[in-house]
Amino acid sequence: MCLTETLDEMVNSGTLSPELAIQVLVQFDKSMTEALESQVKSKVTIKGHLHTYRFCDNVWTFILQGATFKSDDNSENVGRVKIVACDSKLLSQ
Amino acid sequence: MAATATTTTTSAVYIQVIEDVINKVREEFVNNAGPGEDVLKELQGTWEAKMIQAGVVIGPIERSGAPKPTPGGPITPVHDLNVPYEGTEEYETPTAEMLFPPTPLQTPIQTPLPGTVDSSMYNIPTGSSDYPTPGSDTGGGGGGGGSGGSGSGTNNNDPKTGKPSQFMQPPSPWMSQRPPLDVNVAYVEGRDEADRGTSHQPLTQDFFMMSSGKRKREDLPPQYHAGGFIPQQDGAGDATSEVFEIEVSGGSTSLGGHGIVTSAKKEMLAHPARSCSKIPQLDGPIPDPYEDDVISTPNIYNYQGVFSEDYNIANTPAPNDVPAGTPAVVAQNDVGEDDDDEPPLNENDDDDFDDGDQVEDQNTQHLVLAQFDKVTRTKSRWKCTLKDGIMHINNKDILFNKATGEFDF
Repeated sequence: MCLTETLDEMVNSGTLSPELAIQVLVQFDKSMTEALESQVKSKVTIKGHLHTYRFCDNVWTFILQGATFKSDDNSENVGRVKIVACDSKLLSQ
Repeated sequence: MAATATTTTTSAVYIQVIEDVINKVREEFVNNAGPGEDVLKELQGTWEAKMIQAGVVIGPIERSGAPKPTPGGPITPVHDLNVPYEGTEEYETPTAEMLFPPTPLQTPIQTPLPGTVDSSMYNIPTGSSDYPTPGSDTGGGGGGGGSGGSGSGTNNNDPKTGKPSQFMQPPSPWMSQRPPLDVNVAYVEGRDEADRGTSHQPLTQDFFMMSSGKRKREDLPPQYHAGGFIPQQDGAGDATSEVFEIEVSGGSTSLGGHGIVTSAKKEMLAHPARSCSKIPQLDGPIPDPYEDDVISTPNIYNYQGVFSEDYNIANTPAPNDVPAGTPAVVAQNDVGEDDDDEPPLNENDDDDFDDGDQVEDQNTQHLVLAQFDKVTRTKSRWKCTLKDGIMHINNKDILFNKATGEFDF
């Protein structure tokens, strides 16, 4: 969001062309994915009541209520959480 | 932002991602588009600053982040001059365009005006008496040379006509006074001011009535010839006129001397010109008096006004302009009010949305973004495996490589 805000500002101000801004976003997606793959090893388990599920355009959206997130060193309880997941197979292509 | 182990690593990952992105995009910046290294640095600086501000990234990056954003500010304005319309269109369609054009138009038109142009401008209006809006547009376009600016200017007039042109005048002078230096910034300020200015309905009505009493623009043009001041006085009516006159005198003394002064004059000149263009439009909108006197003319004006508005509208804001143009008679006054009201309404809407968002944020502020490997369901029991995701939970960002979920529906 910080990146998109920045890009929006710069595109609006004319310092940046929209095409270039999109390229930056694409690169960000790649870099972020790489970083997640290479640098992050943690595993999380999620449990909760599924309030809403939705599968549209290969994107899963779950809204959980009373969810519990457990990772290695800590656990978080959340009253309501939204999970958005896109297809990993599509991303890798 | 207690720096737990997770947040720290998250921060490190973010920093690395930023660097990675910047490095990999550098080629594009330097080679093709050519915004260059500076823009790239500005991007990185602003981005990092926002990340730090968001509390997501801690630290060391600040060196590049903090200072750069500021330089970015000045850079943007320069471009704004050329681009502003587009930007406004995208984000704020109705109000922004309405308000923005005034300043830019004034400056382009005004520049040519200094001595000779004034006469031409005034002449045009007279000729335009038959064709109020279009005439003014053509005149502005020819004189200014900035067709885009003139077009937008007319547009502005039209939308404002809904409210009274006079309103436009007061805001514009204020705008213009500041703008010369702040041209870029002026737009934002101008909007607010313009809105406020529009609120003064009585002035405009009086003004219109005066013109209407004279009935036709032909009558008006001579006044303009006599002095551009007249329209200003009318516009100024109560308070503004004094300011204008003073400015004008100052401008005349130092015509070529000071850019600022000249700009003030230009503004002055521009205002009369606008008033001319605006007047016809006003005639259209005010229709009630006209209808009593002359029905045929008002209709024409209305149509013309509509056309001009359509052109303008086509570019950006359809809803506001359209209502203003069609309802010509009483409606326009109402529309003007509506316009005044609209910003608040929009704001309210935004607020509502914001509230909704906030509510959602509070509820959904916990967000997980990830890729899914597999999602399965057995009766009401859902299982999913996610990978490479980001969780924003309880104001903490947690990255994970793998996640499994089990949900009851």
